[in-house]
Parts: sequence; structure tokens; C-alpha cells
Amino acid sequence: MTERDFRISVDGRSGRQRLRSGDVRFAVSNRGPDTHELLVVRTDGSRLPLRADGLTVDEDAVKSATVATLDGRGAGTAESLRAHLAPGRYVLFCNMAGHYLGGMHVDLVVR
Amino acid sequence: MRRTTRFAPLAVRGRRVIGAILATFALFSVVSVVLSISATSRSQNRGVVVEVAARQRTLAERYVKEVLLARAGVQVNPGVTASILRRSADVLLKGGTAPPVNGDDDETTLSAATDAIARAQLRQERRLAADLTAMGAATLAHRPLAAVPVTAHEHLSGSPVERLRVLAALTSNVSLNAARTIATGTDRNITRLIDIQVILGIAGLLTSMGLAFALIAATRRQTEHFRSLVTSSTDLVLVFGVGGCRYVSQSVADMLGHPEGDALGDGFAGFVHADDLAAVRAAATQGEPHEIVFRMRNRFGEWRELEAHVTDLRRDRHVRGVLLNARDVTERVRLEEELTRQAFHDGLTGLANRALFRDRLDQALARSARSGDPLAILLVDLDGFKQVNDSLGHDAGDQLLREVAKRFAEITRPSDTLARLGGDEFALIVEQAGEARASSVATRLLERLSDPLHIAHRELALGASVGIVLHTGGIGQSEDLIRHADLAMSAAKEAGRGRYEVFRQDMARELGELLGLEHELRLGLQRGEFTLHYQPEISLSDDAIVGVEALVRWTSPTRERVSPAQFIPIAEASGLIIPLGEFVLREACAQTARWRAQGILPEPFVTWVNLSGKQLSAGGVAALVGSVLQDTGLPARSLGLEVTETAIVVDEPAHDRARAELQELHDRGVRIAIDDFGTGSSSLAQLRRYPIDLVKIDLAFVQGVEHNAKDAAITANIVSLAHALGLPAIAEGIETDGQLASMRELGCDIGQGYLFARPASADDVGRILASALEGTKPVSAP
Repeated sequence: MTERDFRISVDGRSGRQRLRSGDVRFAVSNRGPDTHELLVVRTDGSRLPLRADGLTVDEDAVKSATVATLDGRGAGTAESLRAHLAPGRYVLFCNMAGHYLGGMHVDLVVR
Repeated sequence: MRRTTRFAPLAVRGRRVIGAILATFALFSVVSVVLSISATSRSQNRGVVVEVAARQRTLAERYVKEVLLARAGVQVNPGVTASILRRSADVLLKGGTAPPVNGDDDETTLSAATDAIARAQLRQERRLAADLTAMGAATLAHRPLAAVPVTAHEHLSGSPVERLRVLAALTSNVSLNAARTIATGTDRNITRLIDIQVILGIAGLLTSMGLAFALIAATRRQTEHFRSLVTSSTDLVLVFGVGGCRYVSQSVADMLGHPEGDALGDGFAGFVHADDLAAVRAAATQGEPHEIVFRMRNRFGEWRELEAHVTDLRRDRHVRGVLLNARDVTERVRLEEELTRQAFHDGLTGLANRALFRDRLDQALARSARSGDPLAILLVDLDGFKQVNDSLGHDAGDQLLREVAKRFAEITRPSDTLARLGGDEFALIVEQAGEARASSVATRLLERLSDPLHIAHRELALGASVGIVLHTGGIGQSEDLIRHADLAMSAAKEAGRGRYEVFRQDMARELGELLGLEHELRLGLQRGEFTLHYQPEISLSDDAIVGVEALVRWTSPTRERVSPAQFIPIAEASGLIIPLGEFVLREACAQTARWRAQGILPEPFVTWVNLSGKQLSAGGVAALVGSVLQDTGLPARSLGLEVTETAIVVDEPAHDRARAELQELHDRGVRIAIDDFGTGSSSLAQLRRYPIDLVKIDLAFVQGVEHNAKDAAITANIVSLAHALGLPAIAEGIETDGQLASMRELGCDIGQGYLFARPASADDVGRILASALEGTKPVSAP
């Protein structure tokens, strides 16, 4: 999985991704240039709630649906993120200020 | 090829090492300073970047507010903020001067970011800033936002406000992250720099310590090296400073047989010879002279001669003293003394030799010139030494000389110089002595010498002839004095030996006369100033001429006629007798041959030529006579050689050769006569060994025969002796009828003398011979 300003792609593809349920290891590569983080949140397909600043997702509000998080990493880093994904819809996004709204999110359908 | 290790003095190596240490420190310091400056500069830049980046957030937010206010109709100009925002984003990326936010803000200058990530972030920020301001401008212009070309994102949507706020947030985020990246990179660089500086410091310290240790080790090695050199050297090394001797090498202690400490301070003086101490102290305190020789007592109590090289190192801060580098030269000095002794002493007797005698004499004369004191030189020649040498051998001769030297030494004072000049000649310098003292010394020498000497199991009595020369004080020439002493000694010999003579000036005049005569004699031989006269010899039985004696005559252009009695001894002494004798022989033979050719010679007829003892002892007479006879064609029987008694009684080797040569001539037919018989000491036995044909009686006896009973008796005995040997006798010097009568009475066979004929020229004698032959009448006195 590759993060760059300001989009997230899986195996080079943007847009909705599909995946089998179970334990998943995300190989996250930040191509920058900005610092990015990664959150995996189960969703029902609607837009995630924002904090009062209007720029970041309210992580407390989606805390129960959050299955995995990766803290902010600088450009050029590669990290691994493990998660158990039950069948359902998920959104993977960067919650740096404005990044989610700027387009850094991707939907994932797990079956 | 093997490289040899070159020895570098410590001073040079030390300087190099210290130089290397300083260079290392300098290099490391420069690197450290450069790095520090660079780090400081970067650190300053980072601060500015962070400041400007933080300001971008404020500017983005301010721009969003100003756009919203402007859109609400408030009179603001978001364009200025937009310009500052974009310009700042550009400066953050490329470096340069960031524009002031407010009119009174200072301009901020920063350098371009170098970190790749930071640069990417800053590029992103610049794009976002452009998007933000473009979006703001479109919002103000009420243009559709979707038509605004944005480059930094793909999914921006929502209301214009939201879009502007998101873009401002993105711009702020990336700007701050870029600042953070730069700060982190700078921190990393500074950490690395600190690490490098620590490493450099440690490396520099270790290098310097290594070099310092190497230097210390080299210093130690070199110190040990020189200490070994000094301590193991046989040379003696001493250093003097204030308070006396400050250092002595082990070799000094070894030599002295005392610990080194004993020689330090003034202890050194205790080992130096008292006579040399002042010189050593002077050299040790002043550093001069540069070479001194002094004596030191060694462990065995012997005085050793030391030759020291003195080096003044008082100004050398490492020494601060005077260095004496000494060598034991005792053996060399002794050898030199021995060589000097040998050069100036007679090896046989141990007395001074001629060279030392001359030196002492010159010194004595110099003293005399200063003091005016007289001095005397005694020249002693042993009488009869030659006979001892000949009869008893050279070892006995040497023993005799040693004994004589010992006896002379007993008589002389220590201040006098006794020397052996060579052979049997001794010399003595007696200072502060006048004639009385010199005569007294000479008398005692002769007396002491007259005591019997026991040599080679024989008891010998020896005499000597002593010549004394007196120098009355003042300036004098040693050569003159020695020559005069020699003359006086010759005078003593002539006066009968066994005595002394004091030099007188007339002796010198005689000497001068003789020397002049010798010179003229030599010239006379070259110029042909010599002629022969012939004196007939008459048979006393029938008055017939039976021969002539050839007599040499010299007419010098300066002296006119010179007596043979005057020049023959000089010719003998100078060796000129050899060429003169040859001339006489050749001329006499040639003349006789001419007479023979003229047919005026009776038979038998013999021309007698005198042969000198020198000619005989020189050898070659037989060959010469043979050659002359051949050249002149004269029969051997017509030639007779007169040899004096003393000439044939010579030392053994020459004696034998002379006899052999005379025998050879006799065998050829040449007649041999003994001349002046009765004056020598020849014995009958000796005479019998010689091939003698005739005995010639000395005129001293002949002329006394008439009135002197002793002479008459001797003459009678000689004639009897000759006859007993079967030899005829000839009497020379017959001048009176009485003498003639006496000789006839004694039975003498032949006569010669003025009574018959004086020596005359060849022509005159030729005429006498011719007339005698014609008239066959006896020759009578003219």
C-alpha cells in the first residue's frame, strides 16, 4: 500500500479495493512528500465524522470501529500494519489535518 | 637492496616529532572549527527556516480569513498575503530573502534546503500555496471552484470555505513538516558533527600521544646510546663547571681505581700531577688552550700521560661547562721519548750522539752569549783503538768503547755534555770553564784512561789525543769550535799522542793553508802541472847506472815549486794520491820506454816508482800496472815499485790483498823494493811473506852512518838482513864520499844521492844515460 500527497493506492490502484477476511498485513510505504499516518476504520459507507476543526476525522467517534492505526511517518518510510478484518466495509485514511478531506482515503470491502 | 638506517640526531628527530604533533593539532583544530562553523551556520538556517515555515501557517490562515472577509465585503487585500505566502514558499525551497509579513518586520534571509525530503515537502508546499491562492482568487471572483486548476490534490470537494481551509491546513502541515524534516536533518548533522569532532579529538589526542611517546622513546634511546658511548669509551670524559669537576665518565673511574664521586668537585685535583695542575685548572675554567697534556695517577700509582681536547661548552645550556676529552697517550709519549733518545743518543755507549752534542753546544753557546761565561770543548780521539778492533775484534772494540764512556762519565759533571761523535771519537762540553779547568779535565781523562782496561781477557793500556778549544764567552759558532777542537786534537796526535793540545789561531792558519793547497793540487792535476824527475841509482861495485827513481815535481803557477814533502801528505789525505800515482806510473813507464827505444838504457835497468800505501790499500794496483806496461810496451823487468814499510803493514784484509797484488806483479817480473827500511816496525817474518827484490835503506841512517855509531850499526844490520834474505840493499841519500865509503864498506850494493846525481829532467837523465852508455864510464856528480 502506498501513501502519497494526497491519495492512497493499493498495488498501484486507487478506488475501492477488495479483500478476503482474516488477518491482514498491510505493507505501508509513504512516498511523501508530507508525513502521513494510516487508520483502518470499519464503516457503513457514509462520510466519517469530523472534529470541530473541520479538518480531521473525529477519531474518538470512530474509536470502536477502528481496527488498526499507524502513527505518522515521514516520507520514504515503509511500515507494516497488521489487522484482523472481518467481512464488511472499511475505509483506510490519513488523518493529518486536511488529508482526509484532501482525498487521502480508500474504501476496502472484505468478504 | 637493503636500506641502511640513517642515524638522525635527536635534535632533528625531536623537532620533526614536535612539528608533527603541532601539525596534527592544527589539522584537527581546523577541521573542527570548519565543521563547527558549518554546523552553526546550518543551525542558524534551521532556525530561520522553522520561523518562516511557522509563519506560512499563519499566512495561510490569515489568507483564508482575508478571503472570507473580502467576500463578505470587508475592505481587505488578500492579494498581498497571497503574494507573501507564495514568495515565502519559493524562498523556503530555493533560498533567498523572505519578504516581511508586516511592514516593520525585518527581511529574513535563508539558504536553500538541501535535504531531498525537505525539498520535496517544500515543493509540495509551494504547489499547495499556489492552489490555495488560486482557490482564494476564484472564490473572490465568484468563479466556479471546480474550474480552478489545483495540482496538489485530487479529491478536494465541498464548500469554498472548506476547500480553502483544507488547502490552508495542507499548506501549514507540509510547511511545518518540512521545517521539522530540516530540523531533524540538522540535528542529525550536528550529532554526526559532534561524533566526528569527538572522533577527531580522540584521534588527534592518540596521534599526538603516540608521537610524544615515540619522541620520549627516541630520547631515551638516544640518551642511552650516548650514555653507552660515553661510559664504554676508553676516552676519558670530564666536565668542569663552577665548583670544579661536575662529571667524569666511567672510564675515568676505571683508570683512577676510585668511584666516580671521588673525582668530582675538587677531588679531581688529587689525581693530577702537581706540576700540571695549574694548566688543567686554567683549561677547565677558561676553556683554553684547546689541547693540553697532563699527568694523572692511575690505580697502580703510575703517572699516565693524558692528552686532552678542551671544548668550551659554558654557553651550551645543556652542558654549562668545559669539556675535557682525554686519551691516555702514555705509550705514545714513551715511544716518542725512546725515539728521541735513540735519535739523540749513541746506541753503543748511551752517551749523547753528534746531533745532540751539536744541539747542546748551541744551547751552551747561547747561554754563554747571555752570561759571558767561558766554556771549553774537549775532543778526545783514542790512540790505538783501531789496532784493538783489528786484533781483538769488533765486540772487544765495542766493549772498550763502553768502558771508556763509563770512565769519562765518572769524571764529568752532570752539567757537562759527554758525547760519542762516532768511531773512537768522544767530545765533552765543559761550561763555565777556562783553560785551567779544561786542562785539568783533559789531564784527568787521560789519567783515567791510562788505568789498564780488561777487555776480552786482555789487559790493555789506552791513550788518547785530546784537543781543547776555549770559548771565552759571547757569541760563538759551534761549527768553528768543533773544527778548532779537531785541529787541536790533530796537533796533539802529531805531537806524539797521549796528550792534550789547546787550540791556537796558528793551527787554523795551517788548516787554511792545507785546504788551499789541496784545492790547487786538484787543479794542478787537471792542468798538467806535474812533471817527473829521475834520480839515477849507481851500482857501488862498478859505478854503473842500474836504474833511476822517478820523483814527482809540481810547479804551481801561484806557488812555483812546491816540495813533495808538502803536497804528498795532502795528496795522501785527500785521496788525490790515486790519480797522481797513476800519472807518475804512466809517465815513468812511457819515458823509460822512450829511453829504451832510443837504445840508451844499459841492462839491467830499472825505473823505480814510489807506490803509496793508499794506492795499495785501495786495490787495483796490479791491474793498473799491467795496463800501463801494455800501453807503453815496457818490459815488466824494467819497472820497479817502491813500497814503504808502513804501507804494507796495514790492517788484515787490505794487507792480504796488497800482498797478493804485489806477488802478482812480482811474478810478472816487476821489481818490488821496500822503501825507507828501518823506519817502520816491520818484522823479519812479515818481510819474508812479501815478494821483495830490494831493500832501500832510509837516508836518515845513511846520512848518519859516517859519524853516528848507532846509525852505522843499524845500517850494517839492515844490509846484513837484506843479504841474509838474498836481497840487494840500496842506500839513498848518499851525499858525501865518506858516506859512500862507509856504505861500500858495509857491502851495500847500490847507491843513490846527490853525490852521484841530483834528480833531473828526463832529457837531462837521457843525456847522462847516453853518455854513460857511450863511454861506459861511471856516473859522477855534475
